[in-house]
Amino acid sequence: MPFTRTALGRATLALLLVGFLCLLGLGGATLWLVEQTRGFTARVEQTQLVRSLAYQALAQLQNLETGQRGYLLTQDRAYLAPYEEARARLPDLLARLAAVTVTATGRQMTGELGRLADEKLAELAETIALVDAGNLPGAVAVVRTDRGRRLMDEARLDIDRLIGTTTTRLTDATGRLVANARWLLWVTLAAIAVIVLVAGFSLWLFRRYAAELEQAGREVQAANAALERRVHERTADLEAANAEIQRFAYIVSHDLRAPLVNVMGFTAEFEIGVESLRALVDRVEAEAPALLTAEARTAAREDLPEAVSFIRSSTQRMDGLINAILRLSREGRRRLVPERLRMAELVGGLAKTVRHQLEERGAVIEVAPDLPDLTSDRIALEQIFGNLLDNAVKYLDPARPGRIEVRGRLDRGPVGGPAGGQAVYEVEDNGRGIPARDHERIFELFRRSGAQDRPGEGIGLAHVRALVRRLGGSIGCDSEPGRGSVFRIVLPRVTVATTGDDQP
Amino acid sequence: MNTAAQAVTIVMVEDDEGHARLIERNLKRAGVFNEVRHFASGTAAIEHLFGPDGPNGRPVLVLLDLNLPDMSGFDILAKLKEDPKLRFAPVIVLTTTDDEREIRRGYELGCNVYITKPVNYETFAQAIRQLGLFLAVIQVPEAP
Repeated sequence: MPFTRTALGRATLALLLVGFLCLLGLGGATLWLVEQTRGFTARVEQTQLVRSLAYQALAQLQNLETGQRGYLLTQDRAYLAPYEEARARLPDLLARLAAVTVTATGRQMTGELGRLADEKLAELAETIALVDAGNLPGAVAVVRTDRGRRLMDEARLDIDRLIGTTTTRLTDATGRLVANARWLLWVTLAAIAVIVLVAGFSLWLFRRYAAELEQAGREVQAANAALERRVHERTADLEAANAEIQRFAYIVSHDLRAPLVNVMGFTAEFEIGVESLRALVDRVEAEAPALLTAEARTAAREDLPEAVSFIRSSTQRMDGLINAILRLSREGRRRLVPERLRMAELVGGLAKTVRHQLEERGAVIEVAPDLPDLTSDRIALEQIFGNLLDNAVKYLDPARPGRIEVRGRLDRGPVGGPAGGQAVYEVEDNGRGIPARDHERIFELFRRSGAQDRPGEGIGLAHVRALVRRLGGSIGCDSEPGRGSVFRIVLPRVTVATTGDDQP
Repeated sequence: MNTAAQAVTIVMVEDDEGHARLIERNLKRAGVFNEVRHFASGTAAIEHLFGPDGPNGRPVLVLLDLNLPDMSGFDILAKLKEDPKLRFAPVIVLTTTDDEREIRRGYELGCNVYITKPVNYETFAQAIRQLGLFLAVIQVPEAP
């Protein structure tokens, strides 16, 4: 499953939440255990208090009995001191014991203890009163009833049970505390385990995400490399195809000229021959007109010279066309030498060369002083603008004062276009214009537009387009018959030096 | 016509029969009556120039076409200029193109005149006469 950044963010958030909840639970459980421990401590204290008070109460009960026994044996009131002291302290002890006893059974037991103490006090007071009255045998008889002993046994039993009960409760509480602590330990361990798992899982997620990122990066890199390789291959293919076309054009023009040289040369021979024939016809006409036929006369004086002149003009035209192809092929193979060019100066210089032609026709040319500069091939640019200006001058409309304008601007160019952007130049005239159907055709070799009333072979614009393309640019035409034309050239601001083919 | 110049043999290396014929005719028409030996291939021309029937020190002027079926005219030109005797022979290169790189290469290799076809035969004959004369003048001190 591919992993998006949002998915990673969500998963990380969820994991963080889980970890946080674990920590929160752990904190809560710890707090709870601390609270439990405090309660337990209070209970321990209370239990010890109960025990202490119970034992003190028992001790006072025994003191009561001890004082009574001493008095019975001696009838000396001095022996009654423990009895008196215990009788004073016992109620307070019992009240405190009742106060610290919390459970129902505890209260029942303290209540019972209070009752037993009261009964014991009553029995003791009875015997002492009898001794005070001098009735010692009566007092001994009361003791002999065993009621006092029974009461003491019951009180001891009761106290033992009270202590036993509180001890049991303490043991229970201890057990619970231990259980809680153990439970908390497990909870803590579980929480730690969960946190470790969460951390591990997050780590795994991140690593996977990072790995996927890396993989994606590698794929992009590979795709880029493949793309670059393909561009290189295509470029190489195109360059090879281009070189082949150039070579083809060169060979064709070269080899076409060889037979043409013969045609032209022998036409000249033919002309010389015709000339001597014509001289012969003239002589025959003068000296022996009977020998001369009308056909021979016409042939020597009209037909043959006419034929020769047609052959001559055709071969000359063919020679011109072949030369044009040759020039184009040569231009395509020329090494481009980019240099920093001040375009206003370059175009201004070209404008000067056509100025006198313009003055003859009463036309003006204006070159904008802010033409964007280029780093490009000077010769190519001179030929491009030279041809365009020549054309503009050549096809001015005599019906109105001519006006030619050259302007330019910078253009950032398309995304991924040549570095440094591109410059756009416009050569505008108010000449006779070009119909829309010819806007593309005029850039083809040997094609011309409109009335063929101006000299030319249809080479200039084909040459211009070949040059512009060679510089990595494009050229287009915008024109309306009778209004004028705008030729728009888009060129990269920086042309890369090319390896030309210096072989002929 | 200078008789010494007339002694110069013109060696024409030209594969196109028509061109060869036109050159010969125009030379005669212009008054150059030197012996013209025509070879239609580079191999035949080299065999003659460097062979036993060759000039052997006699003055020659070479008319050289660059587009030969078996080799480039530049190969012959280079060979001529390497030879201690033939290197003084004037060479007129005749070709169908006016490619400046080709012209430069021709002059670098030592050709004397570079003429583009179709030739202006008047200029052509003038060049041949002058080169023949030049050759004859050079030959004078060596003449017995």
